[in-house]
Amino acid sequence: MKPKASVNRPPTPDVVENAPEREPTLQELINVKLIETGEKERLMELLRERLVDCGWKDEMKSLCRSVVKKKGRNNVTVDELVHVITPKGRASVPDSIKAELLQRIRTFLVSAAL
Amino acid sequence: MFLRNPSYTNPESCQHHAEYKLKHGFNGYKAIQKFLVTSPIGKTSVMKPNTKVPRCSFCNGCEGRFYLCLICSSFSCLDHTLLHLQSETGHAVFVDIERAELYCGVCRDQLYDPDFDQVVMSKHSMGVAGGTTGNESIGQRLIKRRRLVSGVGLDLQKSKCRISTKDLRAKSCYPMGLRGLNNLGSTCFMNSVLQALLHAPPFRDYFLSGGHRLETCHHRRISDLMCLLCDVNAIFSAVYSGDRNPYSPAQFLYSWWQHSPNLASYEQQDAHEFFISMLDAIHEKEGKTRNGSKGNGDCQCIAHRVFYGLLRSDVTCMACGFTSTTYDPCVDISLNLDITVSSTEKGKKLTKQNKNGRMSTLSGCLDLFTRPEKLGSDQKLYCQNCQERQDSLKQMSIRKLPLVLSLHVKRFEHSFVKKCSRKIDGYLHYPFSLDMAPYLSSSILRARCGNRIYTFGGDESDMFSKFEIFAVVTHSGTLESGHYVSFVRLRNQWYKCDDAWITEVDEATVRASQCYMIFYVQKSLQDKANEDLNHVPNSPGRELFLPIAGCC
Repeated sequence: MKPKASVNRPPTPDVVENAPEREPTLQELINVKLIETGEKERLMELLRERLVDCGWKDEMKSLCRSVVKKKGRNNVTVDELVHVITPKGRASVPDSIKAELLQRIRTFLVSAAL
Repeated sequence: MFLRNPSYTNPESCQHHAEYKLKHGFNGYKAIQKFLVTSPIGKTSVMKPNTKVPRCSFCNGCEGRFYLCLICSSFSCLDHTLLHLQSETGHAVFVDIERAELYCGVCRDQLYDPDFDQVVMSKHSMGVAGGTTGNESIGQRLIKRRRLVSGVGLDLQKSKCRISTKDLRAKSCYPMGLRGLNNLGSTCFMNSVLQALLHAPPFRDYFLSGGHRLETCHHRRISDLMCLLCDVNAIFSAVYSGDRNPYSPAQFLYSWWQHSPNLASYEQQDAHEFFISMLDAIHEKEGKTRNGSKGNGDCQCIAHRVFYGLLRSDVTCMACGFTSTTYDPCVDISLNLDITVSSTEKGKKLTKQNKNGRMSTLSGCLDLFTRPEKLGSDQKLYCQNCQERQDSLKQMSIRKLPLVLSLHVKRFEHSFVKKCSRKIDGYLHYPFSLDMAPYLSSSILRARCGNRIYTFGGDESDMFSKFEIFAVVTHSGTLESGHYVSFVRLRNQWYKCDDAWITEVDEATVRASQCYMIFYVQKSLQDKANEDLNHVPNSPGRELFLPIAGCC
């Protein structure tokens, strides 16, 4: 008698999850916590306000304008602009703003850990 | 509904977007509309209540920008929008969640669709109770009153004839209307403003074409008192008569003193104060005869017809976004200088410069004027929507531009510490051709809502936002003691009017002086005015004009 086809059948593969469960990093954990409590939204609003007040936004705007002028209005994409100004933007954020936001995050972490 | 964006043409959308629209129409937009949320300051985002933490369907990350596919509602972070496209063909159009802006995954660029912006803006006006997106109509009269070249009712034909007959009497070939004004005792503030007004095209045309005549003057007929307008008319006649000897506006000075007794003295006065006071006097005198019993707006006196503009003031509640709008008439705009005094760590004050080290410009001042201003916590205003006092944001913009735009530069600062006022001498750069479009209410409202393609604030045409300079009143000296000199531009040639002395000067001289009041006229009127004067020959070469000196 022929052996049952089911015997020779290769075993059913284990269900492979789309994204294998890996240990979430500390950064991710904090980020999730910030979003869940709505703190991230508040911090973003605060950051936007500060960056406008100190003139950073206007600087970035004029940088973008010069890039667009150089390349021509129809030859620039948003992605390109973001890639060009991201390094300059990150470097030119005033230290006082960095310090203020870090302080806010620290305070949040202390309260969230309790 | 038709859309019009005068300052730039709408960008064309890509083929992928067109394909999407053909297949899905407005389904995606309408679905998104339910989740649109606009913050009080005008930023719109997509808030999906079920998924609190948006995660990219490919990398499970939760940082950076997130894009929502309009067809299948899956999330992707920026880097993985392409992956989504590969797995599902045709899903090219995304929405940036944080900004409510369209994105094409194939072109990797932002998309602009008037229909999508329409969806966003209609949600916005639905959501904010009583909020306005600027599409209200203040009244048919204001919108209908398009200031066309001939719409003011000035009879320019008549003035043309007058000038041609007086041509024969002119002793020199200089343009009409240049005549020195004698200083009657620290009256340079008056002379400089008068020179500017003498060359304001619509104002000048009104008087030269007989807008106010001695024979038909109501005021004179009622009583034999002075009529300020008759005196202004007399000045125009004298200055445009062709006689080049300096003229003494003594009669006018006396009439003006009658109207403003608190300023009646031989002390030095402020030119701007005089300007306002003079327009007020004209309005008062002519207003009664022209408007009769009609007390409401739309005054037809010449001061208002020429200088009247409308400012819009929006006060937004920071908690709920409710905006209350008021309209204030104005005859000029007073601007603060866009400088900040910066100090080093040691506390020493640096020389006054712009926030970024650039020099002060007129556009900087206008930007400052229309910038949203946070009202201090001690100035909390009552919000009708929240029913309590809240922090507020105030923003000014221009609803209607006048025929002649007068800009006043506030060159003084008051120190509460030292309890004294000081003059700011900083240099201000100003253009000779000015486009006021970015400061109109429609532009300001559009910028507040994320530059959506949408008609804001009525049907203003950009034709009326271009201005040309024709006069500058400059000041030198201190708050207590100084001298005013005005510069007027006739047919592209600048003339310096220093009391009784009129001289031809070049642009550099004008720029080197310290501007205090700048006068612009609508370009269409300036072009017409130049046309009218074209038959009068201009002076050959650049000889200095030496009139018979008057007393100083």
